[in-house]
Amino acid sequence: MRSELDATVEIVGEAGSVAEAVPLIRELDPDVVLLDVHLPDGGGHAVIAQVAPERPAVKFLALSVSDAAEDVIGVIRAGARGYVTKTISGAELTEAVHRTADGDAVFSPRLAGFVLDAFKGGELVSDPELDLLTAREREVLQLIARGYRYKEIAARLHLSVKTIESHVSAVLRKLQLSSRHELTRWAHERRLV
Amino acid sequence: MSSRPQRLSLALPRVTRVERGRALAGVAAGIAASLGVDATLVRLVFALLAFASGAGIVAYLGAWLLLPLAGAEPPSRRRQAFGLGALVVAFSLGLRGFGLADSLVWPVVIVAIGIAILRSRRHGLPPLLGAVPIVVGVVLFVDQNTGGLHQPVLAPGAVTVGVLVVVGPWLWRLARERDAERARRIRTEERAELASRVHDSVLQTLALIQREAHDARAVASLARRQERELRGWLYPDAGRLEGDATLSSAIEAAAADVEALHAVRVELVRTGDCPLDERLAALALAAREAMANAAKHSGVDEVAVYVDVEADAVSVFVRDRGAGFEPGAVPADRQGIAESIRGRMERAGGVAVVTAAPGAGTEIELRLERAGVAS
Repeated sequence: MRSELDATVEIVGEAGSVAEAVPLIRELDPDVVLLDVHLPDGGGHAVIAQVAPERPAVKFLALSVSDAAEDVIGVIRAGARGYVTKTISGAELTEAVHRTADGDAVFSPRLAGFVLDAFKGGELVSDPELDLLTAREREVLQLIARGYRYKEIAARLHLSVKTIESHVSAVLRKLQLSSRHELTRWAHERRLV
Repeated sequence: MSSRPQRLSLALPRVTRVERGRALAGVAAGIAASLGVDATLVRLVFALLAFASGAGIVAYLGAWLLLPLAGAEPPSRRRQAFGLGALVVAFSLGLRGFGLADSLVWPVVIVAIGIAILRSRRHGLPPLLGAVPIVVGVVLFVDQNTGGLHQPVLAPGAVTVGVLVVVGPWLWRLARERDAERARRIRTEERAELASRVHDSVLQTLALIQREAHDARAVASLARRQERELRGWLYPDAGRLEGDATLSSAIEAAAADVEALHAVRVELVRTGDCPLDERLAALALAAREAMANAAKHSGVDEVAVYVDVEADAVSVFVRDRGAGFEPGAVPADRQGIAESIRGRMERAGGVAVVTAAPGAGTEIELRLERAGVAS
C-alpha cells in the first residue's frame, strides 16, 4: 500500500493490529487513517471505537479485500468516511485519501451496492424522514455502483460535483444514524447473523 | 522436580495454583483448570468439606502449601511436608466428619501417611520409613476391628468411597482422553479439508504463475481467478439464496469466465438476488456477451458490472471506460455481438440499451421485468 500512494500523501506511521494502531493514532494524530476492515485482533471498527471519542478530527477510510457486507457496513457505521477495495489503483487511492481528509465521503462501487442493499425497498425504514434514501440519493448510489465517478455522475445528472458529494455524505449520515434494530433486521434477512 | 505435582495427583494432569481467576490463593481455580471443570464446583466441594469437621479448610491450606504457583518454582521441601501433613489431617477430619469410627479413621490415616512417604521417596527418606506406618496401620486396623464384632467392619459407604478414590481418577482420565481424541480428529479433518483446498487451487495457481512468469497479463489473470475463488470460499455470500441456481451466481460465473478468457478485471457489484429461470438465464448469457465484448473491444483492463434485483425488475449494467464507438457506425463483426445481446434480451421479453460514444467508454444496460417471472 505504501508504494501505491504518491508524494502528496505523507505516511506518518503504520500498525499491524488494533493494539498497535490505537496508541499510534493517539500519538501521531494523523489527518486520515487508512483502516483495514480485518485486523488480527479485532475489526477496524474496534480501532474507530477506541480512537474516535478522543480524536474527533481523525478521519477513517476503510480498506479491504474481503468485502463481507456486514463487516463493511459495520466499519462505516462505526464512523469510517468511506470504503475502498485493495485492488484500487494508486492514483485513485491517493485521491480517496485526499477526499477523506477534506471531509467528503468515499464510496466505491461495492460500498454503494452494500448500502443500496441495506436500504433496499425502504423495508427497513421506521422513521422515513431520517432513514429513507431520496430518489436522487438512490440514483447517485446506483450510478456509483455502476462504476461512474463523481464527476461523470455530476455531468450525467446536470449537477455539480459538490452536490453529488453532499448527496453521498447525506447517505453516509443516514446509514450511521439508522437504528441498530433496522440493520440487525437487514443482516438477519441476509442471514448474516 | 517438575514431575512432582504429576505424581501427587496420580492420574490427573499437573496441578498448579493460578493467578488468573483466583478467589483466594488460586487453589480451587488451579484444580478446576487441570480437571477441566468450573472453579465454582471445586470451591463448592471445599466448602461442603468444611462442614465435615472443617476438613475443607485444612485441605485448602494443605493444597495451598503443596501446590506450586503456575510458572513459579515448586515450594520448599519443608513447605511441601507441612502441606502433605495438612492434607492427611484434612483426610482424617473428613472421614470422621462423615461419621466413621475412630477405629477405622486412624488406621486409614496411618496407612495414608505410609503411602505418602513411599511416594515421595525421592526426598531422601528411606523406604522403610514408609513401610513402618503401613504395617502399624494394618495391625491397628485388625486389632481394633476384630476384638468385638459389635460394629460392621466396613460400612458400605466407606467401600464405595474407597472404590471411587481408586478408580475415579482413572475413569476421569479415560473420559478426558476420549474428548481430546475427538477434538484432535476434528482438527485433523479440518486440516485435511483446508490442505486439499489449498492444493487444488492455490498451489496449482502458484505453479501456473511460475510457468507463465514471462506473461504479465496471464499472471494477473491467474491471480484474479484465484482471488475470486479463495474469497468465495473464505467469505461465502450469506445473502445468496439456497442452491447454486441464482442470477447472482450465474453472473458471477460469467464474470469469472470472462476474466479468465480475456485477462480483464470484472468489478462485480450486486444488490439483491433471485432464483434463476429461463429468462434470467438468457439475461445472464447476454450479460456475459456484454462483458466479453467490453473485454475484447474497449482496450482497458477493467469492466464494471452492476446487478440490481428489484421487486419488479432486474437490471444489469456492464460498463467500461475504453475506446467506445459511434453507435451509428458499428463494424460488421460487432453487429453480431450486439444481436446476440439485444436479440437475446428481446426474445426473453426484456430490453438492451447501449450507450456509447467514441472515447467515452461503453455501457450496456440489460433490463427484464419480473412480473412475467412471477406468473
